[in-house]
Amino acid sequence: MNYEFDWSSIPGALPFLWEGMKVSLEITVIAVIFGIVWGTLLAMMRLSPVKPLAMFAAGYVNLFRAIPLVMVLLWFFLIVPQVLRGAFNLDPNTDVRLTSAMIGFALFESAYYSEIIRAGIQSVPKGQVSAASALGMSYAQAMRLVVLPQAFRNMVPLLLTQAIVLFQDTSLVYVSALADFFGAAYKVGDRDGRLVELLLFAGAVYFVLCFSLSQVVRRLQKRMAMV
Amino acid sequence: MSYNWNWGIFGNPVPTGDTTYLGWMLSGLQTTVLLSLSAWVIALALGSLMGVLRTVPHKGLSGIAAAYVEVFRNIPLLVQLFIWYFVLPEVLPFGLGERFKQDLDPVTQQFVSAMVCLGFFTSARVCEQVRSGINALPRGQKNAGLALGFTLPQTYRYVLLPMAFRLVVPPLTSEFLNIFKNSAVCSTIGLLELAAQGRQLVDYTAQPYESFIAVTVLYLIINIVVMLLMRVIETRSRVPGYIGGK
Amino acid sequence: MITIEKVSKHYGSFQVLTDCSTRVAKGEVVVVCGPSGSGKSTLIKCVNGLEPFQAGTITVNGVSVGDPKTNLSKLRSHVGMVFQHFELFPHMSITDNLTIAQEKVLGRNKDEARDKGLKLLDRVGLKAHAAKFPGQLSGGQQQRVAIARALAMDPICMLFDEPTSALDPEMINEVLDVMVELAQEGMTMMCVTHEMGFARKVANRVIFMDKGQIVEDDSKDAFFGAPRSERARQFLAKILQH
Repeated sequence: MNYEFDWSSIPGALPFLWEGMKVSLEITVIAVIFGIVWGTLLAMMRLSPVKPLAMFAAGYVNLFRAIPLVMVLLWFFLIVPQVLRGAFNLDPNTDVRLTSAMIGFALFESAYYSEIIRAGIQSVPKGQVSAASALGMSYAQAMRLVVLPQAFRNMVPLLLTQAIVLFQDTSLVYVSALADFFGAAYKVGDRDGRLVELLLFAGAVYFVLCFSLSQVVRRLQKRMAMV
Repeated sequence: MSYNWNWGIFGNPVPTGDTTYLGWMLSGLQTTVLLSLSAWVIALALGSLMGVLRTVPHKGLSGIAAAYVEVFRNIPLLVQLFIWYFVLPEVLPFGLGERFKQDLDPVTQQFVSAMVCLGFFTSARVCEQVRSGINALPRGQKNAGLALGFTLPQTYRYVLLPMAFRLVVPPLTSEFLNIFKNSAVCSTIGLLELAAQGRQLVDYTAQPYESFIAVTVLYLIINIVVMLLMRVIETRSRVPGYIGGK
Repeated sequence: MITIEKVSKHYGSFQVLTDCSTRVAKGEVVVVCGPSGSGKSTLIKCVNGLEPFQAGTITVNGVSVGDPKTNLSKLRSHVGMVFQHFELFPHMSITDNLTIAQEKVLGRNKDEARDKGLKLLDRVGLKAHAAKFPGQLSGGQQQRVAIARALAMDPICMLFDEPTSALDPEMINEVLDVMVELAQEGMTMMCVTHEMGFARKVANRVIFMDKGQIVEDDSKDAFFGAPRSERARQFLAKILQH
């Protein structure tokens, strides 16, 4: 092996990399929150007896699950800026890449969240709904007071795991030249001619973060299995 | 905002004149399919091997397999791809990296990196499915195999794996679909697969909606074909009277 | 109190209930028995509208169950039901299980609901377990809580759907004792059960169902004395062998 490693460009670049990490985390948090809320609504629509709602939700989820995230992001960089500019009369030079990325991620991930939540709702025994109805609860009350609390408890580990996946996926905003953590690392490596070191560093950071989080999820899962 | 739809654009010749835009699109589709299928072969082979290792009663071996899975699962695909493509050729020993860079044309370099990357990335997921398939079998199965005088490898070969693979066909279907979707990430290293051709078309034709709609529809078609294919496999591999065999 | 008239139900081409008619008067205890798959559970679930039916009418306290204009939630809130698998809400403490519907459906305030719930919990002999969760109780205890939960709504009548068939034998009596007590206090009850001892002790009438039809609908003495149908006779003989 004749490659000479030189890690010296990393320390000076840390503040810049941290700015990138903040972008990654920001996109992740927004997309997780929106994804769970919209995903829950989609799951309830899909399970509802109202046919048009169920069909809309099924179509939405299947469409987003069938196309690559990269394609979704490209669509959103193409369309959303135009729509936003039109709707809010923005200056053509306003940078809406971050907003587009967030909307794209949120709409895409909600399809995946909706499937997790649907499975969670279905894992609650049917008798529970009967029992709630027998006590006079309406469908909405039965959902809110009896089914969803149980479903979410079962789903916490899966929702967190999906959040870890999402965090990894945020690196794909690279396609819009947005400086998230990975984008920042790439830029520094490219500037200093030290792509090898910066890519390995980025990989190591992602690994440490995601691995520790997944260990936390695993422990949580074990604790829940005991109760 | 008015947009001039022009679906006829696909029939126009490309600037170099040797094909049409439709031709570009189809060549992208071909690359996506070839890349995904070859990566899938790697993923299945490596993933099965690692999946078996994870379940063997040997701390060292199952530990290696577990570490393997963690590494490939906790680093974003894009980062893995860049490491395979930009880092590995630099640091490979014995001049292998040099030969990779000098002897292969750029397109082959991109294709090989993308294939290996997708293969390894997916193999970690396949490994977990195979492991849970093996673990889902009743414990008595393994003992029954051993009691019949099979060695451990024979027990895997004749008793555990045939059943485990049937159990994991449905989850593997979604991994197989994922490999097609994930292949779009490889457009970032310049590989002209389907998503990249879509982008190129936008740049050349200035008809973004037609290009993206066409690419999106092609991905949908890939999805449907794969699902139908896997459904056939699922039906064929079904074990009568076994749970999930309904 | 409960009137069932010519009720029929089918899933696709499979007939589950055929022309079932009977009535349960105020204060009456009616036991419904029959071989598994005879439609008895389905029939009792039709009474509070948990199962829809295609033909016939059911009225509870003058309210038609099958009428689309009927507010089913309101109807159900004063018809108590006890399920085969208890169906306590596993994510809530026993106290919360007893109070949740009182608060959210009947609109009672917290203290009132709590007092009521604990009083009934005491009545089924489980006061000490108020803070526990369903998963920490035995099956028999869970079923007694489920009865208390239904009673907390001040029901005008109670439906029991095989309340003891998911229990270990040694726990059956603790649940039956609670049910006997209820019956003796004059509660209107419709019980799907195979516990013939219970039927002998407190039932006014026994209904025997087979293949979705009501085959016998007799006073207790007539049923146990001389069942008119061959199928009921066979059923009784089988039950006694246990």
